[in-house]
Amino acid sequence: MSDIPMSNGDDTQVSGRKLAGLAKSVARHRVVAVLAFLFVFPLIIPYEALAVNILIFGLFAMGFNMVFGYMGVLSFGHAAFFGIGSYATGIAMVHFGIPWLPAIIIGVVAAGVIAMIMGGMAIRSRGIYFAMVTLALAQCVYYLVYQMSDWSGGEDGLTGVGAGDINLGFVQFSLFDPTAKYYFMFVFVAIAIFFFSRILNSPFGAVLEAIRENENRAQACGYNVLLTKWYAFVISGLFCGLAGALNALHLSVVPIESLHYHLSGQAVMMSLLGGMGTFFGPFVGAMAFLLLEDIITTMTTHWPLFLGIIFIIFVLFFPKGIWGSVLHWVKR
Amino acid sequence: MQTNEIMRAENVTMRFGGFTALNDVSVSFPVGQLTAIIGPNGAGKSTLFNVLSGAFPPSEGRIIFEGTDITGTPQHAFAHKGIAKSFQITNVFPELSALENVRIAIQAMESQFDIWTPRNKLKEMVERANELLELVGLNKHRERLASNLAHGEQRALEIALALACNPRLLLLDEPTAGMSPEETVVMMDLITHLASERTVILVEHKMKLVMGISNHLIVLHHGEFLAEGTPDEIRTNDEVRRVYLGQGDH
Amino acid sequence: MNITIELLALQVFTGLALGSVFVLLGIGLSLIFGLLTVVNFAHGAFYMLGAYVGVFLIGLTGNFWLTLALVPVVVGSIGLGVERFLVRPLYGRGIDYPLLLTFGLGLVIVEVVRIIYGLDGVPFSTPKELSGATDLGFGYFPTYRLFIIGITAVIVTGLWLFIEKTSFGLVIRSGARDPEIVRVLGIDISRVWLIVFALGTGVAGLAGVLSAPMRSVIPDMGTTVLVEAFVVTVVGGMGSLIGAVVAGLLVGMVVAVTSLVAPELADLSMFVLMALVLLVRPQGLFGKKGLMG
Repeated sequence: MSDIPMSNGDDTQVSGRKLAGLAKSVARHRVVAVLAFLFVFPLIIPYEALAVNILIFGLFAMGFNMVFGYMGVLSFGHAAFFGIGSYATGIAMVHFGIPWLPAIIIGVVAAGVIAMIMGGMAIRSRGIYFAMVTLALAQCVYYLVYQMSDWSGGEDGLTGVGAGDINLGFVQFSLFDPTAKYYFMFVFVAIAIFFFSRILNSPFGAVLEAIRENENRAQACGYNVLLTKWYAFVISGLFCGLAGALNALHLSVVPIESLHYHLSGQAVMMSLLGGMGTFFGPFVGAMAFLLLEDIITTMTTHWPLFLGIIFIIFVLFFPKGIWGSVLHWVKR
Repeated sequence: MQTNEIMRAENVTMRFGGFTALNDVSVSFPVGQLTAIIGPNGAGKSTLFNVLSGAFPPSEGRIIFEGTDITGTPQHAFAHKGIAKSFQITNVFPELSALENVRIAIQAMESQFDIWTPRNKLKEMVERANELLELVGLNKHRERLASNLAHGEQRALEIALALACNPRLLLLDEPTAGMSPEETVVMMDLITHLASERTVILVEHKMKLVMGISNHLIVLHHGEFLAEGTPDEIRTNDEVRRVYLGQGDH
Repeated sequence: MNITIELLALQVFTGLALGSVFVLLGIGLSLIFGLLTVVNFAHGAFYMLGAYVGVFLIGLTGNFWLTLALVPVVVGSIGLGVERFLVRPLYGRGIDYPLLLTFGLGLVIVEVVRIIYGLDGVPFSTPKELSGATDLGFGYFPTYRLFIIGITAVIVTGLWLFIEKTSFGLVIRSGARDPEIVRVLGIDISRVWLIVFALGTGVAGLAGVLSAPMRSVIPDMGTTVLVEAFVVTVVGGMGSLIGAVVAGLLVGMVVAVTSLVAPELADLSMFVLMALVLLVRPQGLFGKKGLMG
């Protein structure tokens, strides 16, 4: 075990428990495991639009989780990265006629730039102050984009973001076909998950955890904590920007709510519900969140009430989240 | 300036709001020796420690290290200069294993922003971490989470973390705080061993402990410099005795 | 558009009125943070609750002044319950948990109000004694807004006296949740937590009912207000009451003057101010450096 320093290393003897062995094996090959699961996912979910949503928001929550779960820093401004990713991609396609692939890249890069600026302004705010500052900064972006209605469509959002037919030479499909759309998005998400896992497993990933565990100690050891936080914020922004870019293509519109702090709150909730600081947690959380929303909205218009209560219950009694609790139980 | 000094505080004053914790303190620390900063509670020992170790810059005055003015250097640069510290209240990485604790401390010297190399390829760091764990007597606990270690073991881990950057100057803030007598003896032996290889500055309020192992003592009182010298000199110093007798001996 | 001195002066007063509401919001937020180290993400919801409780009480009593006195008591009592049963269990855990809880709570409060009152706004008319305009010399200014400025000044003074002159206040001033200081003073610290949270939410509720005649009373009214409260506290400095007062008035005036001079930029002006403060003095105008962490 000692050559893969997992953050949850401990010397409890878990002998013979097949479940524990399976969980550990899954954790070791986490990229393959999650990709395999997501690959067959559409077969489990009743309709593809929901599956695509879970894919996209799972990516969003995963990107957010780098800063929140792994580094231990609570940001309430990640909607800015998702939203700018969406808007940049949408604007590139609608106003400039740029094809879908460069448009997605533009979306990701734009989100990264916003993260650099926001991070630069917020990073000296420590602790929970940071949550407040990031919320306010992100809401500033919301107002800016809202005002630039010639570009963004203002309150009505940006419409007409359609890629329609995708022609890759060796294969052709239409994004109107839900299954094709899912696997199209899946390719991007799969690449993102691979990079994400790689980053977490790198020396930089170790520094994130050190900061979460004890920021002062990390500083005394010689880590430039401020710079590391900024980098993590930007990298996280890139992943969330990709989620936003994909969302623009998925919906064919970019609603102004993509930038509102309610969306930032969703990332927080999905992460906590799923399990902060775990690899699968964000996807589990996105799945739980969106499935619950889907079911409950068919029965009542007051989904936020149930969401709020469920979230409060998790905060009070199940802070490890679903997957985090599973891992914890399995390690005993 | 003495050429055999490793660090010097020059006219250091530290104010917190209206309260002056250190008042115009000038002291010099000889290289290669074990110097202890002692004094009754409230003397300003911890504040001086924090200023010397880079926790915050002094309100006035300078800190000179190996001839260079390092006043105002940010905390994270200290380890890279060869100055390491351990904290008075145990400050490790709780939910990481002891091995990972030390490995990460070692990594700080070599690789902070590498986002690509898988950690399990960093074999030299793990080897070095194992060596340090063995030095402080924690090798059988290397897989244990730091939060699951006994108090004395956590203090030992603190030391290992400080040693990770291969410091020329080691600053220890009450390393035996909260330890049992047996643990204290082990720790003192370790510190004596470490002092043979590098300069150590120690903050302690247990007089008996430091008298035995220090080469040099600096006594503070009410935030001001009171006396300095060898243990014998300090033991027979009238002012020091008056200050300490009033407080009771430890 | 011709901007005369008179117009500017009137707009400054508008800024003071707007700023007064910000002051009340900022004070509540800063109080709760200063002592409990909790950023109350439900603060906007409590503000909205105050407006709706006001609607209910006005319907019940028909008396504005009675309503004004009762709203902070009602909302503060709800705050009391929230602190005691929802927030307090989380103090031992990481610093983010109380914040997260208040965030979830905000969702619940807003939705409960939606269930009871529906999505459309509820009217709240200015009380007769305070309606109309007063001649300030350089122009006419809505009397109700003068009232808001006045009553905020009274509340701020009252709070200042409470904090400077009482032993409860001493505990609040000495800051963080350190039971040792308080034990020495012989006060039950958990009672102080209760009171501070109740005070903070009560003042937010008061801000809500005071705003009711000026803004539309809808369940969503707390959403933008939360952001405004945050901006004020970032500018003023978290945990600083004088910061809340100065920043609240400053933000109010910046927004008011901008809506006169460059109306399209009015919404953004407070963020520009906040951005400047973050760049130049990240702890806020009156904040302590390295306070939070």
